[in-house]
Amino acid sequence: MPMFKSKIGKWLAVAGFAVVVVAVGMYVYVHAAFPETRCEAKHLTDESKMAGDCYACHLKTTPKIAQDWYEGKHGMLLVKCFVCHGQPDGKGAVEFAVDPDPDKVCRKCHDPAVNRMEEKFGLRPQCNDCHPYHQNSIHHEAFQKTESKKTVN
Amino acid sequence: MSLSRRNFIKQIAALSALTALGIPTKAKAGEGVDSWSKAVCRYCGTGCGVMVGVKDGKVVTVKGDPNNHNKGLLCLKGALLAPVIYAKERVTKPLIRRNGKLEPASWDEALDLTARKFRESIDQFGPESVGYYGSGQALTEETYLASKVFKAGLKSNNVEGNPRLCMASAVGGYVTTFGKDEPCGCFEDIDATSCFFIFGSNTSECHPVLFRRIAARKQNDPKVKVIVVDPRTTNTARIADLHLRVTAGNDLALLNAMAYVIFKEELDDPRFIRKYVHFKDNAKASHSLEEYLQFLEEYTPEKVAATVGVSAEDIWTAGRMFGESPASLSLWCMGANQRTRGVWANNLISNLHLITGKIGKPGSSPFSLTGQPNACGGVRDTGGLSHLLPAGRVIAKKAHRNQVEKQWGIPQDSLNPKPGLHTTALFKAMSDGKVNCLLSLCTNPAHSLPNLHKFNPGMKKCFMACIEAFSDAKTLEFADVVFPPSFWVEREGVFGCSERRYALVGKAIDAPGECRDSVNILVDLAVRMGVDPKLIPYKDSTDVWNEWREVSSITPYNFMGITRERLRKGSGILWPCPTEDHPGTKRRYVRGEDPNIPKDYPHKYWFYGNPDGRAIVWMRPQKPPAEPADAEYPFVLTTGRVIDHWHTGTMTNKVPEINKSFPEAYVEINDQDAARLSVQNGDNVKLISRRGSMVFQARVGDVCNPGLVFVPWFDPDKLINELTIDAIDPGSKQPEFKICACKVRKV
Repeated sequence: MPMFKSKIGKWLAVAGFAVVVVAVGMYVYVHAAFPETRCEAKHLTDESKMAGDCYACHLKTTPKIAQDWYEGKHGMLLVKCFVCHGQPDGKGAVEFAVDPDPDKVCRKCHDPAVNRMEEKFGLRPQCNDCHPYHQNSIHHEAFQKTESKKTVN
Repeated sequence: MSLSRRNFIKQIAALSALTALGIPTKAKAGEGVDSWSKAVCRYCGTGCGVMVGVKDGKVVTVKGDPNNHNKGLLCLKGALLAPVIYAKERVTKPLIRRNGKLEPASWDEALDLTARKFRESIDQFGPESVGYYGSGQALTEETYLASKVFKAGLKSNNVEGNPRLCMASAVGGYVTTFGKDEPCGCFEDIDATSCFFIFGSNTSECHPVLFRRIAARKQNDPKVKVIVVDPRTTNTARIADLHLRVTAGNDLALLNAMAYVIFKEELDDPRFIRKYVHFKDNAKASHSLEEYLQFLEEYTPEKVAATVGVSAEDIWTAGRMFGESPASLSLWCMGANQRTRGVWANNLISNLHLITGKIGKPGSSPFSLTGQPNACGGVRDTGGLSHLLPAGRVIAKKAHRNQVEKQWGIPQDSLNPKPGLHTTALFKAMSDGKVNCLLSLCTNPAHSLPNLHKFNPGMKKCFMACIEAFSDAKTLEFADVVFPPSFWVEREGVFGCSERRYALVGKAIDAPGECRDSVNILVDLAVRMGVDPKLIPYKDSTDVWNEWREVSSITPYNFMGITRERLRKGSGILWPCPTEDHPGTKRRYVRGEDPNIPKDYPHKYWFYGNPDGRAIVWMRPQKPPAEPADAEYPFVLTTGRVIDHWHTGTMTNKVPEINKSFPEAYVEINDQDAARLSVQNGDNVKLISRRGSMVFQARVGDVCNPGLVFVPWFDPDKLINELTIDAIDPGSKQPEFKICACKVRKV
């Protein structure tokens, strides 16, 4: 092909190939190193696995996250996974997202709090930058008040 | 936006996975909202305020109303309300059954046919041959209007509603104890109490936002105690300090035993008892305190422990917790109401508050929770049951009838003096051919009545006209005419929640297709049936509301100050509220708070519902359920809600997330029982009661007590009500959904 005959063409082909190798390598690495992130792919390919309770399956695939939810306020109050994250096939009423959009999701219940935070710190794209969903007093060890976790709501 | 390394890798992984699959990633829509409109959640009796976000004439989102009692919070169902409105199953045209099939028809055809059938039946068999079956989900205005049309217009007192299946025992309990229906406390008591006594209520799944408030109260003050009485270890029990896992049906003895403990430990309030309490037995004979104490001797914790199914020590602890706490709040729901002794259970809970004086103070109240968004309000207050007239008056009393006749401008003694048929009697009369025509509004009896095999033939036989929004409601299989109503925020009206709070459901959008407001359907239909148009001169729900305010104003209910303007501006007002500058009443029967009590009244409390101004402590004995487990049917079957679904599922099964996560009903079974029957988690088992049988997937665990099985009742494909019993409380006529005997077979 004439493209490979030119020097630039050859370089482009090598660069393109390198990009593909790095992307595939990255994908394979992540796939192996972070098993929980694989679920998204699984959800999307296998219809039959999507039915049922997210929690039941995530208790096995991502036990830490599932347990944190269960012990957290949202778990205690049964605000289930799909309320914020939607459903994996994307056909639900809530957009399927690992990081829910605060404007569309968090504000449904926490509008006053979001407004308060916005006033204090300016607009942030994600609530979980400061309130990691599954790791803070709101989502972990709920209703076990300690001196360091004096939250009212 | 700052990304941690881990988050970055996760997102790249997700992205690469998506790219690899060739599925386009959804762009984050900058979905704005044109306007927000105030409403009340369509689901449970918590009555959370919601803000409905509208864009281009469509509801796109729902968020909590920060100014209502829920402070902006919503539960799983409330947060996912929007898709329900746009369900493809919405009925948008009137339907008439022709050759066995419901087919589209014009409004005139449908209204005329219904009016003719009702008229013919009344002319031939009298007014008692027709009836109305309403709902705790209908608007206050709709129930008031329907009740007036049938009782004053058609002279039929067969006006019932699904609250009979749900709240009737609470009504009976309040009326027998205090002389007046409806709770005396308010939700704010949750923030002030130091002891929760949660009896027969899975608050966490049935009133989730209230449960959050309870849990938050406990979090704020770890000394706050939570007692949960439930034969299942529900999610509610997760925050319990003491969970009394009683055997189903034997808890009246527990309540009496707690009263015994309170006296033994001298935690009673002698001054309150002396001034404000009156003791009575089942024969309504008055008794002294000493005689009451004598009655309680039969209920020492040691004597009843075996029956109740918990240790005597735990009963002592429960009694002490309740009595020692500076303020105690009882919350109960269907576990107390759906019983053949539901009224008694209600009385016995109120007893605990009356003997300790824990009533009418912040944090102290006997507070029954309602299941539907407008059952406590719309139906009970406006008189939407067969024995009631508006604002707590009863058909059986001539003085009450005459008062209402005067208010409605109809001739004296023209109301039918005979109370109508209660729900199960009404549906029985339909199969017996005594009731030929029924108008149902916003309810699904072919799913929610007990012992369905018994009542289905009646619905088939009777001419049924249904005002119903969803075509997949089970009842429409029996309907002869279906009218499409505007749903939820497609029209304006008022809901009254568990705490006597009335709030406006504002109109946010137009209804689809040919849907009409139920108020207008009722007026149109009534006029065509021959009801005097002057009796119902309403063009919309506001007109009905204003009449209701007037009608209530001469009674202790008094809604006069709750004007439409105030409702539009604010987020709900608690009645009684006599004037437009009155803030509403948080605690009834208390001088200085209840506007029905003069400011110079000599005593702090006045239970004005009773002739002597005292509340009644009833001596109610333990009575077993109508159908306890026996050798042949060794299990107790109980039914209830799950957080995901609501009532008959006609709304929640329109939400994709809920449908996917909770597609069908199951049976919960104790692991010991399961081991004995060689049933494993996920196996199919057959439940057999004396009325029917059905196969469910088993969920094995320790949620249920041994000997108890639980089935949620939302699933239209697995109608557990084919198995439940139609035995009713002799006082409240409420069926015992909560307890019947069954056997379990592995299939």
